[in-house]
Amino acid sequence: MNVLLALPALLLIALVFGWPMARYTWLSFHADSVLTGLVPIPNGGANWVRLLSDARFWQDSLQTARFAVMSVSLELLLALAIALLLDQRWRGRGAVRALTLLPWALPTTMMALGWRWIFNTPYGPLEQLAAALGLPSLNLLADPNFAWMATVAADVWKTTPFITLILLAGLQTIPADLYEAFRLEGGKPWQSLRSITLPLLTPYILLSLLFRLAQAFGVFDLIQILTGGGPASSTESLALYAYLNAMRFLDFGYSATVMLGGFLMLTVIIVLAAIALRSIGVLRPVK
Amino acid sequence: MKQRQLWIVLLLAWSLAPMVWQLISSFSTNDALIATPMAFQERWTLQNYRELWQSNPPFWLYLINSSIVASVSTLLTLLLALPGAYGIARLPKLWRQNSRLFITAAALFPYVLLFLALLELARTFQLGNNLIALALPYSALSMPLALLLLSAAFEGLPQDLEDAACLEGMGLLQRLRWILIPLISPATASTGILVFLFAWNEYPVALTWISDAKMLTLPVAMARIAGTSVYSIPYGAYAAATVLGSIPLLVLVLIFQRQIVSGLTNGAVKG
Repeated sequence: MNVLLALPALLLIALVFGWPMARYTWLSFHADSVLTGLVPIPNGGANWVRLLSDARFWQDSLQTARFAVMSVSLELLLALAIALLLDQRWRGRGAVRALTLLPWALPTTMMALGWRWIFNTPYGPLEQLAAALGLPSLNLLADPNFAWMATVAADVWKTTPFITLILLAGLQTIPADLYEAFRLEGGKPWQSLRSITLPLLTPYILLSLLFRLAQAFGVFDLIQILTGGGPASSTESLALYAYLNAMRFLDFGYSATVMLGGFLMLTVIIVLAAIALRSIGVLRPVK
Repeated sequence: MKQRQLWIVLLLAWSLAPMVWQLISSFSTNDALIATPMAFQERWTLQNYRELWQSNPPFWLYLINSSIVASVSTLLTLLLALPGAYGIARLPKLWRQNSRLFITAAALFPYVLLFLALLELARTFQLGNNLIALALPYSALSMPLALLLLSAAFEGLPQDLEDAACLEGMGLLQRLRWILIPLISPATASTGILVFLFAWNEYPVALTWISDAKMLTLPVAMARIAGTSVYSIPYGAYAAATVLGSIPLLVLVLIFQRQIVSGLTNGAVKG
């Protein structure tokens, strides 16, 4: 009976997450584009051969990795600092926590539009600040070398609250006695961060890392609105490239190949990271 | 003490400044946005909001569309997830652990990769341009998180309670309806608000499923406004749109922040 109750929900998940993967695998061995009149025609491994020699795919992979690694590490550092601040007792803490949560709750598309205005040249506040300080024009969104930093900044602003909450939950599991004992032993407050807080927080840090890296790898909304992948594709992510292949170039077969290729890379990275963490003893097998 | 206050002020400035900037821009005349300081009457205006009201289709239509999609998705998700989560919580240990692993993997999956297959499904079954139909993929995509949160809550209930209800002669549906579901209502509230936020903010699926200008959800409408005039300068109207679109969420987050916090932390930690 319990199995009967659980099955529909589990099947739904298997269907919605599994069917696309099966479908993409099938599509990736077919030509399915405007050239074929959007009728799938088997083409052997042509899509995969194309993927391997597609400079834009590899460039986008590197850019996606750069975005994910940079934004998630910055988010983690900031979130740790904010969580330590919010973990202390002070008046108005609850209200501040609620206000810091707001960026996370707003639609990405909406705030990406807002950030585009902030980075606007020459009228955005950043440019005006630079002008007031006598600096040359930043022109951040038009510079292929630096535009990706704008996407990282907007993502850090938006998703740091999520990691903060996870780390805050972790901090609250650490008993206060531990710090008290450490202090009585003559330890300095900043030493307790290294000897108590960070080790006990490790599972929470890893958890948010895993979750955020997977999400950042699929970044789409933010980049599509903030930069449109430009300038000169310098901020384009894998998800955006797959989207363009399907919706602009109307090449469904290749779009499916790009998504599968990206997904395989993400899986390999996560598995390798898990093995590495386990071998240095940070990650223990689940009991 | 002084130092801590400084950090709190910095934290609030970092979190709120971009939103405050939107608010200021939305009440500014276009001249004020691109020129140096000017007199009060030329500086501030309600014109941007008036334009949104008079646009075609009017902006409030998107708010209504998003409310419909998000409400239907939330109801549908809870309807499917509550019995499912109970079933999972009562599975034998090994099965339960494996189901959780499977669900967690789905929760981690960057769902944007699903858009192409979902679009094909929408075309095959003619589900495009239908707000109610859009709730189907949303419920399915929210299912992993909902199952994790709710099954953890069901597992937390004492088994004695259910045994007692069984002895009273209550059937499964009665037990769920009168005893178990009321007892996990905090977890249900957390799940509901998180699903609502997801559905309200979701972009790639809505972008590909909806093309009719009258059916757009808020995020897609915003993106479309943004796309039509990439570098155009009269930004005031966009700022007004972001402000209006944010207000419902600001209210929700401030009211339900406790549920959101417990939902997110339980979802991550127990999952």
